[in-house]
Amino acid sequence: MGKIKDILSPFTAWGNVVKEPVTIKKPIGREAAPRYRGFHKNDIDTCIGCGTCEVICENEAIDLVPVDGIETKDGDSGLRPMIDYGRCCWCALCVDVCTTGSLTLSNEYTWVSEDPDEFRFIPGVDKKSWDDNEKGWKKPEPNYEFYGKKRVEMPELHAEDRDKSFIEFVTGYSKQQAEEEADRCVECGICTATCPAHMGIPEYIKAIRNDDLEEGLRILYETNPLPEICGRICTHKCEDVCSVGHNGDPISIRWLKRYIADQNPSEKYKEILNAENIENNGKKVAIIGSGPSGLSAAYYLALTGYECTIFEKLPEAGGMMRYGIPEYRLPYDQIDKDINYILSLGVDIKYNVNIGTDITLDKLKKDYDAVFAGTGLHLGRSTRIPGSDHENVYFATDLLREISLGNEIHVSEKIVVIGGGNVAMDITRSLARLQNNKFGKVNVTATSLESEDIMPADREEVVEAREEKAIIDPGWGPTSIEIENGKIKGLHVQKCLSVFDESGRFNPKFDESNTKFFEADMIVESIGQGMDVEYISEEIREQIEFDQRGRIQVNDYFQTGAKWLFIGGDIIQGPDVIHGIANGHKAAIGIDKFINQNG
Amino acid sequence: MKDLLERLNTKYNLTDIKYQRDNLVFLTIGKENTIDLVTHLRDYEGFTHFVLLSCVDWIEEGKFQLTYFLNQPERKYDIAIRTMIDRDNAEMVSAHHLWRQITTYQRELREMYGINFPGSPGVDENFILEGWDDIPPMRREFDTKQYSEDTFFPREGRKTHDPASYMKEKLYPTEPTTDKVNKTDE
Repeated sequence: MGKIKDILSPFTAWGNVVKEPVTIKKPIGREAAPRYRGFHKNDIDTCIGCGTCEVICENEAIDLVPVDGIETKDGDSGLRPMIDYGRCCWCALCVDVCTTGSLTLSNEYTWVSEDPDEFRFIPGVDKKSWDDNEKGWKKPEPNYEFYGKKRVEMPELHAEDRDKSFIEFVTGYSKQQAEEEADRCVECGICTATCPAHMGIPEYIKAIRNDDLEEGLRILYETNPLPEICGRICTHKCEDVCSVGHNGDPISIRWLKRYIADQNPSEKYKEILNAENIENNGKKVAIIGSGPSGLSAAYYLALTGYECTIFEKLPEAGGMMRYGIPEYRLPYDQIDKDINYILSLGVDIKYNVNIGTDITLDKLKKDYDAVFAGTGLHLGRSTRIPGSDHENVYFATDLLREISLGNEIHVSEKIVVIGGGNVAMDITRSLARLQNNKFGKVNVTATSLESEDIMPADREEVVEAREEKAIIDPGWGPTSIEIENGKIKGLHVQKCLSVFDESGRFNPKFDESNTKFFEADMIVESIGQGMDVEYISEEIREQIEFDQRGRIQVNDYFQTGAKWLFIGGDIIQGPDVIHGIANGHKAAIGIDKFINQNG
Repeated sequence: MKDLLERLNTKYNLTDIKYQRDNLVFLTIGKENTIDLVTHLRDYEGFTHFVLLSCVDWIEEGKFQLTYFLNQPERKYDIAIRTMIDRDNAEMVSAHHLWRQITTYQRELREMYGINFPGSPGVDENFILEGWDDIPPMRREFDTKQYSEDTFFPREGRKTHDPASYMKEKLYPTEPTTDKVNKTDE
């Protein structure tokens, strides 16, 4: 009997041909749960291509790829994630770690295509039907973070403990604090492009995490020979583009750099940086000015074997770092630590030498194979308003220099500072300290053309100045200084409506009916500085190219039309320390090329 | 649901009771009383529908967490019973006699985590991993990436870019960075 059944049963299956099939051709068409993890969506305008999604993906399903129409710029790599759905397991770790929150998952889970390559696409760029789907997986908020959103607070002296003295008020991270802060870094490296010196930021932060501070120091010196200084006063453009800063505080990159430099003792630098045996190549380079660009050029040239001599006009080295930045922000012993290491490589420095009067530039040209000039912007600019020629109207840079030289400066009871940049904040806070010592109270007001939101000073400088009882009253344009019986009575200002015109040019507009009077018996101008290049003789000048606004033109290696003369630092770019360092480094490479080509 | 929990509490030592919703509760019980509780719920509290049995690997604690998910169809109650078992020589009393489909779940857990359920029919047979010769793949010490690199070939045409290097190439290709300086040193 069994045998007959075996023969017939295949035929009975034919009966199913006419039945409704149990399987289905098309997707069910049933919507998934609201938080279902389906296909990716990416808001490509918010995405910065930091690649953190790619790094976290356990299945290596994500590639970062260039996208037409998305430009690589500061803070945006121009890359966007492409997902390979042959590998994606829909775990959504990429969404949970996304620094900008641009990457999400829709709840769409069905999609049919016969081309397997279609299952590799760039969400947000390759348009899909679920792009506007509001449902799906998003990073749960709040308190669900793969890295800390809040930065580890930097210990500081209280305003009352610091406003009478010039001692450093930022006390520095401890080991635990530094490691905790370093742990927040996602190592995307977006910051490196923005740093003028292109420092290996994620690499040295990683060295802190690994507690390998010697490696950290080596990484710092590859691109920056002034880490103690930059670790304190760098304008930290890197932090402005930090990917972690999109949804929280950016990493304290500057303080972490300082931590590495602080922890390495200067006696060990040569050994750590492997600079004990540098072979002299017999070539000589003269460097004018011992500011950041000059020191940086000297360092990288000395490493390559050049004999460098720095000529400094003032009695000590450092340029604006020593004579422009107050001691409470940048203590002199820390400037010395960085500079002494550079000098220890055989760099010679001659103080109190004025190029142009003591030695001519032509003489340097004769005696050396090349010359680098980083003489900075030391000349104060005047508002040229009526009364600005009074003897109690000063330039901020002059006063800051005198304070650093240890000379007593004129300090009166009521002072107004004109300017809203970091130099203005430096002089305001320095004068506040001096007033506090002299009169037991602070009465200094800083006023700038720019309104509070566009003041060029670092935000923290403004906040800290106010903590130290200085008044910051931005948004006013000075019109005249009132003088009565030969004495300054105060400063007349009018409301500034806008500083720049539509095309972004400096062209301030005022409301003349809205005026104010700041009482003062001393006024300080801090509206910018100019260069003093008197030392460049007419003959050399003719070889150098200047633009319409009188700015010196240099090539990519900071070489001027006079081939042996390289110029960098604040005169060319900036003004700030880190651009100077970057310029000096590049000029050193340029000088090396120039000298080698000349045989 | 609250009444039910009160009744159970008099009989069993329940911990970590967490209401996910009014009609869905998670609780934890010791390994030796787990199947007793599951049986009790089925026979006396109307939890006639067995939903699923799952496992989480708590490798740091040296434990596996098993979850028996039951449903009471009349009152639409869901209850998830959790228990922690040792990770080393992991073994759990079989519950296949309560619902026949548990056999399949137990076979899966045997294959994916290496948990034994002595007496469960066909528990040692291949479930989906035919010819598997590595450690159970859902154990967290299993290196999925290494396994896939050793076993599969990469998809052709894939190319990725490191953001920092790509930005250098686009924005400052000639400027000195780490690698350039090293070259000058040499």
